[in-house]
Amino acid sequence: MTKTAIRVDHIARVEGHGNVRVVIEDGAVKTVEMNVVEPARLFESMVRGRRFDEVPYIASRICGICSSSHVVTDLLAIERVFGIEPTDRTLALRDLLVYGSYLQNHATHLFVFAAPDFLGMPSVFPLAETDPALFEQALALKALGNELCTKVGGRSVHPITAVVGGFTHEISAGEYLKLAEKMDAAREFATRAVDLFRSFSAPDVEMAGDMLAMVEEGAYPVASSRSARFLDAEAEFDADEAAVRIEEFSVPHSAALFARVRETGRPYFTGALARANASWQHLGQNAKVAAAKAGLRPPERNPFMNNVAQAVEIVDALDRCAALCRRLAEPDSFEGASSPAPFEVRAGRATGFTEAPRGALFHDIALDAEGRVEHASILTPTAQNCASLETDMRALAEKLVSDGAERDDIQLEIEKLVRAYDPCLSCSVH
Amino acid sequence: MTNENGQRPLRRGDAAAPRVVVAGLASCFGCQLQITNAEEHLVDVLGQVDLRYWQLASSDPLPEEFDVAVIEGAVTTEEAEQLVRTLRERARTLVAIGACATTAGIPGMAAAGFIERPRQVYEHVPSACGDMIAPRAVSAVVDVDFEVRSCPIDSLDFVSVLQRALYGSNKAIPTRTMCGDCKRNETECFFGKGSLCLGLVTRAGCGARCVSLGRPCNGCRGLSPDANLRSAQEACERYGVPASDLDRALEMFNQTNPALRGSE
Repeated sequence: MTKTAIRVDHIARVEGHGNVRVVIEDGAVKTVEMNVVEPARLFESMVRGRRFDEVPYIASRICGICSSSHVVTDLLAIERVFGIEPTDRTLALRDLLVYGSYLQNHATHLFVFAAPDFLGMPSVFPLAETDPALFEQALALKALGNELCTKVGGRSVHPITAVVGGFTHEISAGEYLKLAEKMDAAREFATRAVDLFRSFSAPDVEMAGDMLAMVEEGAYPVASSRSARFLDAEAEFDADEAAVRIEEFSVPHSAALFARVRETGRPYFTGALARANASWQHLGQNAKVAAAKAGLRPPERNPFMNNVAQAVEIVDALDRCAALCRRLAEPDSFEGASSPAPFEVRAGRATGFTEAPRGALFHDIALDAEGRVEHASILTPTAQNCASLETDMRALAEKLVSDGAERDDIQLEIEKLVRAYDPCLSCSVH
Repeated sequence: MTNENGQRPLRRGDAAAPRVVVAGLASCFGCQLQITNAEEHLVDVLGQVDLRYWQLASSDPLPEEFDVAVIEGAVTTEEAEQLVRTLRERARTLVAIGACATTAGIPGMAAAGFIERPRQVYEHVPSACGDMIAPRAVSAVVDVDFEVRSCPIDSLDFVSVLQRALYGSNKAIPTRTMCGDCKRNETECFFGKGSLCLGLVTRAGCGARCVSLGRPCNGCRGLSPDANLRSAQEACERYGVPASDLDRALEMFNQTNPALRGSE
């Protein structure tokens, strides 16, 4: 009997701590495990009894990269409980925050985490010498995401200004216009980045599971809809039903809970590729052209195309942010101000829902009459993706084994697959 | 247990560039991101050191020998506690970055009643969680030479502290509370509006960033050694803020601070 065990401890260039274990016996893939060993910080326990206004602040700390998304999702849940309808201006600012985190996340993931795989480098740093222009432009794109989050949220990680009912601070019209100009200036490089990631060769594999994305009539929504859709099952549901439609389950080898479609029992993927499949026709013009040129069209099931979908979303986010910033700079372009609206605290339960950079994010929160948390359940994109990732890792390993690939090549390809999923393991184990 | 001045600073004349490792414990990774967010300064900083290990950005394994260990995150497992001891043994200089590492931060909130908590989240606690222990700061486990405070750290603060760690400095670290910063910034005091603000007892150094943006301080830099808690409680009552609100708010970043034990 020949037995090959692949074990990657502490997989590098992903956010958080995880190991991969693959056992191949006599040409058959026996075991495939995504071993998430990120320390459990127990957020759902620690927010119990905390007052509502502390909760988004605490939840933000689930994840550095997706902090804006955690804050906005929490605010949406709390506002739904209190019956607050934020103004259009507040909603526009929240979109900017979420897009800012898309730019940060996608640029960091694509260039710092994923690109070295395809360039044959251990990290992004050698790129500073081999292709300084690419290195600098990639960092500049990430810096632009940071700047957007800083201008709107007060800093690049863990926004300060976004509170229940609105924002405690806004920048001047002139600063919005400067941001818009920077978005315009970044477009050319972002468009080339789509081609760059398309040019990297990737194995011909397909995701076996379903896909989940936020959907909205006539839009490519990130924080403006409450509807989620399983694309294969063609099942659409309101965010408040997430706990019913999605089944979380635990496995011994992961500190992150896994998830599957409750009705079909299938694993599923959520993230840029699912969004692109769900709302492709509502991408902005530039992003749509870039996507079409790169061959990204629905239905696209190759998990490695998630990289391309993220690159397309950068182009899309730049255009949308430029337009939003120009509109915010005009007086009276939005009805209502962004300053926090008055509200009354009341008891209730609701689920907030956004598309975080890595996919659908749900915060289910129950508050008592004093606005203190009675129950909280947080479902992060990566927790949802782990089961799908394991399924696809197995399929990839089987394909490579049958192609007669060497052990080291199998290991590298599996690591590349993990990184294409862009897991946020610190989010997944909150 | 911290020594802010560092005992064995590295000198500019060292033949080889100082070997640096960056390790992450229980955290949101935001402080490591803030290192990458030093952006135009990042390459300059990395140019001065021999970065031996940074799991976030590179696939190299943890080396046997290095000079400086930078640690992000709180200690929440026995395994992490052992890693911190190993890093301390191998490193000449140890730098703790962010609220999690310096005060146990937000993860430290779980320290109260810890024994009950894992079962509130997991029906069956997965073995992958490791041997969980009540969260604690890095400085509660080993001596820390330098600290970068805040949640998250300021990128340029990190650059500045790393400079001190690499080349040595006897610069004194301010321990005062935040209120003077707001006076200088000429921002309106939240207490005047009947709202709680932890700047009253929190270590200064961030320039009162949150207050400048219209939001009260949540205390992420940790309790100032100069804080007068009894007086702060009296001040709260004077402004119509229940003193119990102050105590509860302090749990966010100071849950494990021994100075607060018995104050409730």
